[in-house]
Amino acid sequence: MLDTQPYRQGAVTVDGVTVRYRVAGPDNARAPLVLVHGTAGSIDGHYGYIFPMMAYRQRVIALDFTDPGHDRLDLAHLVAQVRAVIEAEVPTGPVTLMGYSLGAVVAAQTAAEMGDRITNLILAAGWLKTDTHQRMRGRVWRALRDQGSENLTEYMTFCAFSPAFMNARTLDDMVKAAGMLTITPFVEKQMDLNARIDIAVACETITAKTLVIGCTYDMMVPRHHSKQLFGAIEDARYTEIPSGHAVVHERAAELFYHVDRFAAQPDGFAAGTIIPAQKP
Amino acid sequence: MTTTTPILIIGAGFAGLGMAIRLKQTGRDDFLIIERAGDVGGTWRDNHYPGIACDVPSHLYSYSYLPNPDWTRVFSPGGEIQAYIRKCAEDEGILPHIHFHTDMQESRWDAEAAEWVVTTDKGVYRCKILITGTGHLADGHMPDIPGLDGFTGEVFHSAAWDHSADLNGKRIGVVGTGASAIQIVPEMQKIASELVVFQRSAPYMIPRWDRAYTEGERRMCARDPQVVEDLRSEIFWSGEFNFAQRRNIPRFLNEAKALALGHLETHIADPDLRAKLTPDYEIGCKRLLISNTYYPAVAAANATVEPSALARIENGQAVAASGAIYDLDVLVFATGFEAVRPPFAARIFGTEGISLDAHWDRGMQAYDSIAVNGYPNLFIINGPNTGLGHNSVVYIIEAQVDYILGALDHIAAQYVEVIEVRPEAEEAYMQKLDGMAAGTVWLAGGCKSWYVDQRSGRLTLVWPDFAHSFREENGTFHPEGYATVAAE
Ligand SMILES: Cc1cc2nc3c(=O)[nH]c(=O)nc-3n(C[C@H](O)[C@H](O)[C@H](O)COP(=O)(O)OP(=O)(O)OC[C@H]3O[C@@H](n4cnc5c(N)ncnc54)[C@H](O)[C@@H]3O)c2cc1C
Repeated sequence: MLDTQPYRQGAVTVDGVTVRYRVAGPDNARAPLVLVHGTAGSIDGHYGYIFPMMAYRQRVIALDFTDPGHDRLDLAHLVAQVRAVIEAEVPTGPVTLMGYSLGAVVAAQTAAEMGDRITNLILAAGWLKTDTHQRMRGRVWRALRDQGSENLTEYMTFCAFSPAFMNARTLDDMVKAAGMLTITPFVEKQMDLNARIDIAVACETITAKTLVIGCTYDMMVPRHHSKQLFGAIEDARYTEIPSGHAVVHERAAELFYHVDRFAAQPDGFAAGTIIPAQKP
Repeated sequence: MTTTTPILIIGAGFAGLGMAIRLKQTGRDDFLIIERAGDVGGTWRDNHYPGIACDVPSHLYSYSYLPNPDWTRVFSPGGEIQAYIRKCAEDEGILPHIHFHTDMQESRWDAEAAEWVVTTDKGVYRCKILITGTGHLADGHMPDIPGLDGFTGEVFHSAAWDHSADLNGKRIGVVGTGASAIQIVPEMQKIASELVVFQRSAPYMIPRWDRAYTEGERRMCARDPQVVEDLRSEIFWSGEFNFAQRRNIPRFLNEAKALALGHLETHIADPDLRAKLTPDYEIGCKRLLISNTYYPAVAAANATVEPSALARIENGQAVAASGAIYDLDVLVFATGFEAVRPPFAARIFGTEGISLDAHWDRGMQAYDSIAVNGYPNLFIINGPNTGLGHNSVVYIIEAQVDYILGALDHIAAQYVEVIEVRPEAEEAYMQKLDGMAAGTVWLAGGCKSWYVDQRSGRLTLVWPDFAHSFREENGTFHPEGYATVAAE
């Protein structure tokens, strides 16, 4: 008998499109946790581990972004979707908002706009301002896409995982994992948005207690970006996980550990702290 | 003869030694260890059967503060683990503190003196603080097999292997299909003329990512300790990931199941044998086994899987529960350990004069998995709700040792004579655990396992959460759970 967790499916309409989300876990002393996925992600794709496991600890809400249907995707479109879900599910009271990758950018911008509604913020593998290194990667991605290259998803996989993770697997395993990625027009628009991010001004205004999580071997959003967020956000503390960008797959349990600890006790570490790794 | 010591530790396995080493490292010398056997090592001293190795990679399955760059394999053989434990005891200066061949027979709380009186076969010990490190898998379990006396061949338990027995070319029966059995069976298949495996229930088995470390890799680990630290972190967190299976989450359970059943299909072509080897319960409810050699071994021409238990011996022949009869020269019992009711508990008597075993008539329980109301000044390592289905036991031991060090500091700072957990604190802790255990694979997986106490249906052996949360919750002493009496 499997422990099939009951979760409730919800939907809100934003900009004329339907945004679906899930709610699970008990209501308790912890602020509800809202999870925002990243580029080419989804609840199952990026929070397949964190969502069900955190739901044993507390109330968790996660949404799947929907393509708003414009030619160009802007950060504001995604922020509006997150806001709408929060307003529908947690109309009052504190919220812990977590974003991963592009989701972290969206979460940071949302926290800046929603002020004290967002009491706690978790930014995993996010960034402040797209830099040359990222634009160079984006350029190669665009070129492979335009050529209709079969190697596009392999290139994405190569960039996403750390050497240690890949080396514990076979080349076949990695190629198979690449084959599971699908590139939709919405993903293309997200890639385009990724090249235009600049939330530096907004980050200066964030008041939420923030945990910034950088990934030591991240080649897509290298950890210096997380350090920039750590510097820009006033009430921020920082920790690092020794993984590639795909931390939600590579080190899901370690990510859970940090998320769970921070959600339980956001002020466990003072602002400015570099939280040491758990040494087993 | 009576020996007095402030701290007495029972057992010199990973737990007892780990306690002693940390006491010594933090500047305390006022302890003794009593050990019933003639050497340190516990599990790894007693289990030396052919094929023995650990199931958690060696770089993690060792003390965090005594890393060993020289492990020869990812999963090192038992002899190497035993040598490592012995070297730790020697290097850290623990051997002079150990009284070997000293069996704790009875420990009684003397309220008047506020001391434990520990009777052994070598005399009496009196101590302020008693710490048990007697192991959860220390006493071999032998099933009661009618007629076993009439078996004329060799008979022994996996944890008491008789290396003098000549097994070459013999007809060998292995009883059980647990973690020890699956390491023993491939070795027996190589030398037996005929091999019969008595299987009461088929285990799930996944591939074992084992390999030898090169000399260069070992030197790298010696030259750069960070490499070992990174490895430990990688192994630990990938182990932690698998807790999602124990938590019974369909997606992760199904992934593990697919891996295990795929492993079975790869190795076993014969549909009848495959059916026999397919488990009939949810994966992870019993220990998930890892082996690359078990399936090929039982598929070999000289091997038979008997899909039922060994029922009795009749006319010198082994009779299975199914009625099948086998002529055998050797019977190896790989039938596990007395885990649900550990024997040490029957020997410890608290404030009411009743044994811990009697006190635990509805199953083991302890506050913070370490202390029991009615048994003051006693700390139990590796006792109730400390077992893991997915990670290294040494990690848990280290957390418990840290807890005890904190308690000892508190005792010293407050001049505490008697420290006893409050009954409400113990009950609240157990309720928390019951809530955590509900719906996990151990309780909901539909199998009978040694993780669950059949008297109460409670999960008494396992910590039903991540290993890291054990350290978070039980790795530091909680004075608020205890009532204390200070010295006058
Ligand atoms: C074959 C096998 C393989 C295992 N593999 C792994 C693995 O890969 N990973 C893992 O995490 N765990 C593994 N385990 C579990 C293992 O038992 C623990 O990891 C660990 O060794 C327990 O250490 P301990 O000190 O608590 O107990 P033990 O090693 O059992 O030591 C207890 C000691 O106490 C002594 N003792 C007991 N009663 C008395 C008494 N009354 N008086 C005096 N002395 C007494 C015993 O003689 C013994 O030396 C395995 C167990 C077995 C049996």
